[in-house]
This record gives sequence, structure tokens and C-alpha cells, in this order.
Amino acid sequence: MRRVPVQAWVGLALLGGLGALSLLAGRVFPEVLAGACPLGQDPTRPDRTVCELAFGGLWISLAIGLAAGALSTGLGLLVAALARMAGGALERWVMRLADAFFALPDVLVVMVLQLAGQSLVDAGSGAGLGPFGLMVVSLALVGWAGPARMFRNRLDTLEGQEFVAASRALGGSGSHVLRVHLWPALRPFVLAVFLSRLPAAILAESTVSFFGIARMEPMSLGRYLGTSYAALIYEGGSRVVLPAWTLLVLLVLGASLASQALATRTRRA
Amino acid sequence: MRQLLVRVGRQLVLVPIVALASYFLMASLPLTTEDDNKRQVSPELAASYRRDLGIGEPLGFLRPWQKLFRGERLGTSAQGVTGDELLLKLSGSVGVGLVALALALSWAMAFALLKNRWRSGRLAVLGDAVPAVAFGTPVFIPALLLAPAVVERGNLLPELTAALVISVWPGVFLGTLLGDALETELARDYVRTAASKGLSPGVVLRRHVLPNVLPALLDAIGPVATALLAGSFAAERVFGLPYFGQLYVLAVLQKQVAVVVVATTVFASVLVVVGLGVEVVRLIVDPRAREARA
Repeated sequence: MRRVPVQAWVGLALLGGLGALSLLAGRVFPEVLAGACPLGQDPTRPDRTVCELAFGGLWISLAIGLAAGALSTGLGLLVAALARMAGGALERWVMRLADAFFALPDVLVVMVLQLAGQSLVDAGSGAGLGPFGLMVVSLALVGWAGPARMFRNRLDTLEGQEFVAASRALGGSGSHVLRVHLWPALRPFVLAVFLSRLPAAILAESTVSFFGIARMEPMSLGRYLGTSYAALIYEGGSRVVLPAWTLLVLLVLGASLASQALATRTRRA
Repeated sequence: MRQLLVRVGRQLVLVPIVALASYFLMASLPLTTEDDNKRQVSPELAASYRRDLGIGEPLGFLRPWQKLFRGERLGTSAQGVTGDELLLKLSGSVGVGLVALALALSWAMAFALLKNRWRSGRLAVLGDAVPAVAFGTPVFIPALLLAPAVVERGNLLPELTAALVISVWPGVFLGTLLGDALETELARDYVRTAASKGLSPGVVLRRHVLPNVLPALLDAIGPVATALLAGSFAAERVFGLPYFGQLYVLAVLQKQVAVVVVATTVFASVLVVVGLGVEVVRLIVDPRAREARA
């Protein structure tokens, strides 16, 4: 078992720290934050401080990122595994479909899916999905293609190794090889891919919410900035924008550090 | 030649797929006009929805395009768009995107050279930190910070600022790729040979190294074009630019579904054109690509 790189620990600690901070400051003890916020009140919501809105938004953004990242990674893994097991023309066509999906920008497709999903919800046929669930499903439907391509390539590499050939020669079925031999080798890579999807999902959600298309309540970071952007432009919004930006950058930095370190370790293994 | 045609065909097929997928997704939406629903659409919008999408008609998916080519308005009278207006808005966005691409290439070259210089020193950590900060910054954040200074000045300043804002992440992304490719190429024997024959470092870089690095950049132009166009949505919204990105966001917000179908397809077409352009440029600048085709 190779040691987990320091870079990955730093990234995971940053993510965990931000998560704990947003939970404590934004959800459990918001009144402490409200009393001690050095950035003052929000210009468009005088009853709330900038710190309350930023940390509350971070908690929602992080929750959406984790849920959407996990769902899109799971979908990608499922598609890649099924494609590899089917093989041949079906695998080629599924991967071409994934490439076509991957070519379209996340933000554009999420906007279209939000429009479709909201119309379904308004008509009472949204299968009980609220704004949070709708956003998670939209992001997962957009984000599965990248992980599917990466998992398929990784599976292809792993299947070329001798222990897999030996297992097959001994009569191991496709699902047996996948479950017993490939999955243990794939697990760290799955974590790396999940962490790489996390910032992408958070950034796509922030942008779509900023446009006012997603109706996230309580507000995510993007919706928080989007609902008051006219006031931010005309009343000097740096006091409001900078904390949200810093939190987003730290979040992405943590996820990127951990994801890159784990992916490099997996490739070397 | 056959391989080239297959590649072109694979890119072109994206356009009808996107056109049909977006049409059938939009045509299946249950837009409601009932008074007891809080979020009902206006009767005018519902009428334009059925009319523009040709709901219930054979070959209804051609209806938005038919209207567009006839010069008729898609969507409602106040918020819809004609073919000419769509082209005008698209040209505005493409103009901003082209300026942003030029800026992104400049950032890429500067960042790659800096990253190469930082690699051996104490500033090496910046080579990883700058991409993380650039990636972690959605376009609307620098746009919000710069908007108070430019939004009411006009004289193309909002357009130029939008191009500047959307070029940062693609520039740093390209710069990272370019930096890694430069590091690999600079360690090769032909560079040492050229330098030992007395050529200056600038000449070695320009004449020998860059032509070998360019194909790596071309591979990244597709994702960069996607990022530039997607970034333009946020920048145009914040700076109030009445171009394609703003049109798209407003069409989604106002449920102008026929406009969404057409704009999504046009967006995919622009990406395909960029992809084909990259293939042509690759054939021109990369002899290895020509040999592979032969």
C-alpha cells in the first residue's frame, strides 16, 4: 500500500475544514457569525451580515457539489463498466456519445435542463424534486461524460495487466473480474475523479444560480451574488464579492490538490 | 483522406443531434397557463410555444428554422428574435470571443514562460497556485469587481473588459499545457544542438521549439473555445452587453423555448466550426498531421 501524498492530505484537510466551518458558522451557530462579522451588513438584505450569507451559501454550494459530484461519478462509472463489459461497437458508440456530451459546456446544458425540470415541477410532475434535487440531477446528467471517458480508459489499462489475463484464463467472468480484481485497483481513482468533479459542479451551479435560473433556497454562493448583483455593481460590491470568491477559490484549491495527488499516485501504482 | 472525412463527419453530426435533442426536450415541456398555478406562463407565450415549435405537426422540428429563414420572429413579440437579430448578436459574441482568444494566447505564452522560470526557484508553488485560483474563479466574480468602473462608459470598454475577464482561465489553462510541453521540448537534443551552434535562446525558441509545441496547443483550442463562449454568458450579463450570451440567458429565464432550441443548436454549430478550423490549422502547421493523413 503506497502512502497517501502530503498534497492530497492538505487538499482533503482544506475541504474538510471548509465543510466543518460552513456547517458550524453557517448552520449551527449563525448568530455568533452575525455578531462578529467584520464585513458588516449585506447592502440588499440589511437583516443579514455578509459573513452569514457567504458561509450559509458555502454550505449549500458544498452540499450540491458533493451530491452532484458523487452522482455524476457513479453514473460515469456505471456507463464505463457497462460499455467495457459490452465491448465492440456498443462501447465505441457509448464513448462517442460521452465525447459529444463532453464537448458541450456544462453551464449551457444545465440551463436547458433547469428550464425543463422547472417546467415539470411547476406542472406538478417533478417527482418530488425541489430546487436542490433538480440542480443535483441536472449537474449529474451533465457531468457523467468526463468520468465515463476517464474510467473507461483506466479500465482499459487495468484490463491489459497480467493478473486480469490470468483471472480470465482461469474462467473468471466479466463481472467477477470487475468486482474482485479491477474494483480494488480502481477505488483510489474513483475518489480522484469524484474530487475533480466537485469544483466543476460547484462552479457550474454558481454560474447558473447567478443568472437567476436556479431557484436555490437557502441561497448558494452563486445565487447570493446573483440576487444582488445590480446593487453590487452600483454600490461597490467588493466587500460582498471578495469573501464568496475566497471561499470558492479555497474550495477549488482543496479539491484540485487532493484530486491531482490521488490521480498521480494511482497512475504510478 | 477517408480518415479526415470520418473526423469531419463525427464533428458535423453533433449539430443535428443537438438540434433534435433540444427540440424534443423543449417540445415535451408542460408549460401551463392555468390561473391556479403560481408559475403559469402568459397566454401569448404559450401560443408562441405551440406556433414556433410546430407542436403536433409532421416535421414540426423544422418549424423554428423555417420561421428563422423566412425572417419571422421566434418567441413573443417583445422578447423574441429574428434571424437577422440572432446573427447580429452572434457576431457580437464571436467578436468578444476572438479578442478574448487573442488575449488568452498572450496570457498562455506569458504564463508558460514564467512557469518555466519559476520551476527551479522558490516561486515554483505559483505554477500550481495560479491555475487553481484561475479555475476557482467563475467569470462573473472578476466581472462584478470590474463592472462599476466600466459598465456605463461605453466606447467598447465593456466589450474589451468582458474579453479580458473571460480570457483569464483559458489563458492560464493553455499556459499550463504550453509550459509542460515547453519543458519537454527544451530538454531534447535538437535544442541543445541549436544552442551549441550559436543561436540565441529567442531564436531557438521561435524557430525550433514553438513549431513543435503548437500541436499540443491546438488540441486544447476546442475546450478553450467552449470555455470562452460559456464565459461570455456571464460577462455579457454583468456588463449588460446585448449579444448572444445575454439572449440565451434571457430566453431561458423567460421560457422562450423556440429561441432556446435555435440558440443551443447555433452554439453547437459554432463549436463544430471551431473544431473544423482547428483541423485545418493542424494540417497547415503540423507536418506530422499531413503525413498521417497521407
